[in-house]
Amino acid sequence: MMKWIIPFLLSSTLLAQNKATDEKVVGLFYFLPILGHVHQSPEKTSASMTTIQCSHPVKVIESSNVIINEAWAYVEVADYRGFIRKEFLSEKRPDCFQGRYPNFFDGLNLDLSELYYWGRLYDQYIQVETRVR
Amino acid sequence: MINIFKSKLAFASLILPLMVFGNEIKLQEEKELEVVNFNSIKKVLQEDGLSQQAINKKKEVEKLKVEKAKISAQRNLYPQEEDMWGFLTEYFLVKNAQLLNWDYQKPEYGIDQSFKELLEKLGFYQKKLKILVLNTPSIHRGILPGAHKEDIYLISLPFMRALDLSKLEISLLLLEDFFRSEEGMVRSRIKTKSFDEITGSSIKGKIDQNFLKEMMGKYDSSLKTGYSFQQQFEITKKMDSYLKAHPDLWNTYFRLLRKLNDFTKGNNLYKNYINLYPSPEMQIKWLTPEKKVL
Repeated sequence: MMKWIIPFLLSSTLLAQNKATDEKVVGLFYFLPILGHVHQSPEKTSASMTTIQCSHPVKVIESSNVIINEAWAYVEVADYRGFIRKEFLSEKRPDCFQGRYPNFFDGLNLDLSELYYWGRLYDQYIQVETRVR
Repeated sequence: MINIFKSKLAFASLILPLMVFGNEIKLQEEKELEVVNFNSIKKVLQEDGLSQQAINKKKEVEKLKVEKAKISAQRNLYPQEEDMWGFLTEYFLVKNAQLLNWDYQKPEYGIDQSFKELLEKLGFYQKKLKILVLNTPSIHRGILPGAHKEDIYLISLPFMRALDLSKLEISLLLLEDFFRSEEGMVRSRIKTKSFDEITGSSIKGKIDQNFLKEMMGKYDSSLKTGYSFQQQFEITKKMDSYLKAHPDLWNTYFRLLRKLNDFTKGNNLYKNYINLYPSPEMQIKWLTPEKKVL
């Protein structure tokens, strides 16, 4: 029995190591919109894993196991791993609305469903930007 | 033993408040200035040419103090006008999320590319805007003010489907709204006296809920009450002058107005469209070139 268990344990340890070495932290970024979501899959309408606020630090990960559209980033936020659109991430800490007007923003006492919808709003916008002449 | 303990306790009760309340939160630079007593080493500093540096440091600290005071004062302010527009519009969209039904799975319509191309063709560069497609027949289309003129254009999916609008036709409808925004018709319909009074002012106690209620009401009515004939005339004439240089676009716009005219007259669900945007029939008349009698 033992001669079967030991090779199995060894191979699973090797596999785990392999998985770990395939991953690389690209960098620490900050979330840009007032509120937003970490998505379960790289789609605008996919389910939300957690809601985050502007300036929340986000760890961007590169993994050979996760192949996604270049518009999306594979991220780690607290205990969650999911997807955020790259256009919502900044290398520098942004100047957030709630940072500029904290008493006003806190005073609104937004409930959970409002926080959720506010995050969804940025996913649903179709952005148009004309070029510089 | 107990006496020693009591005296220690009394001493601590005297000292602790002094330690806690005596110290305000100070800037790092202020603390540095306190640590170095410049007067006692004045001569040495003068010899080393460092006294000027000490003066500069003092000035720097004063500047930082002013900045710090400014930041802490701003913490208790209502947003400035541009920030307030963007915030209130999103607050309205969030508060009415279920009613406007914008959170649903939708395909990429390609409106962004089409509208971008149209704006650039007409010479509108460096413009930023957002479009939100609503899955409701109760609001056909509209425009709400965004922060720093990044307005938010609303268009209903059932409306687009019922009229079988092409990407270019949708873009032309959005262009009308774009001109409305350029003419200042969008913000003026929502702005109130209290908006001017409150933006950038200090929050006294709690947030003025009446102000928020009033503004939400104005947002709601801006989508339900229409534009005047005079305003429609101005916009139609502006469309005419911009599209004339591009006959293909002008013809598409003219056909679109006919389509809207026929559709709104024959469809009860969209009859109030004429009240909001008066009226496709009049717009066609304004656009039709006058016949010259020889």
